[in-house]
Amino acid sequence: MARILVADDASFMRQMIREIVESEGFEVCGEASDGVEAVDEFKRLQPDVVTMDIVMPRKSGIDAVRGIMAIDPSACVVMCSALGQETLVTEAIQAGAKDFIVKPFKPDAVIETLKKVLEKED
Amino acid sequence: MDMAKYRQVFIEESTEHLAEMSSALLKLEKNLADGEAIDLIFRMAHSIKGMAASLDYDSITQVSHGLEDRMQEIRREGSVADPDELALLFRGLDRLESMVNAIRSTGKMPPPDPDLAAVLTNRAADPPAEVSPSALAASASAQEAAKKKAHTPIL
Repeated sequence: MARILVADDASFMRQMIREIVESEGFEVCGEASDGVEAVDEFKRLQPDVVTMDIVMPRKSGIDAVRGIMAIDPSACVVMCSALGQETLVTEAIQAGAKDFIVKPFKPDAVIETLKKVLEKED
Repeated sequence: MDMAKYRQVFIEESTEHLAEMSSALLKLEKNLADGEAIDLIFRMAHSIKGMAASLDYDSITQVSHGLEDRMQEIRREGSVADPDELALLFRGLDRLESMVNAIRSTGKMPPPDPDLAAVLTNRAADPPAEVSPSALAASASAQEAAKKKAHTPIL
């Protein structure tokens, strides 16, 4: 079962992602509410995938991707973006993120993206 | 998904965000270039937009998106342009508060405010000097309300 770290400053979004991924049998092994916590929790939990919000306090999602890549260049990070954040998503992909999902979340699209990046990892 | 649960989380989290935005706007009133306050208002508007869009609250999505766009521009420039622009931000906050309160009390999506969303978004096309007198009056009233609220605990 894949282990997922959910990083988002909004409890609303963390709960929503948790519900979506758990309904498909994934395990949410941890949550982070800012970019610094996301990097720390990644180091501690070594999840299979991180879902990473872009706009977060203390450290942005993009800087958190850079921090995670510095720890593990093969880490699997999926960005959570909103419409209009295309430039930031491109920056995140260049920083090492593997893919992205768009808010508002569509459960099928979230699951499909996670399965896709996990298959690539295998 | 149990959307009633998410509606409740939205009301609670948005209310907290709006209180933080109110405090940050009062800081901006003292210093139009307060970077922390600018960043915070941007993030709060972005967060409310994301939650509202997830629940199909289009009217809240529009206004919070407009506020987010305006704050993005202010972040680039490093400062709120002038007191008129600050008044417009207070007006955005006031409108979002009333919309979230409407959801809290009726459970239904409040009516849209496309004029405000447009004024917030189209900064270049609508400089503060072109904001209508009635809009400015509404902004001044919102500003006063925020000042009073700063001394009132948010439930």
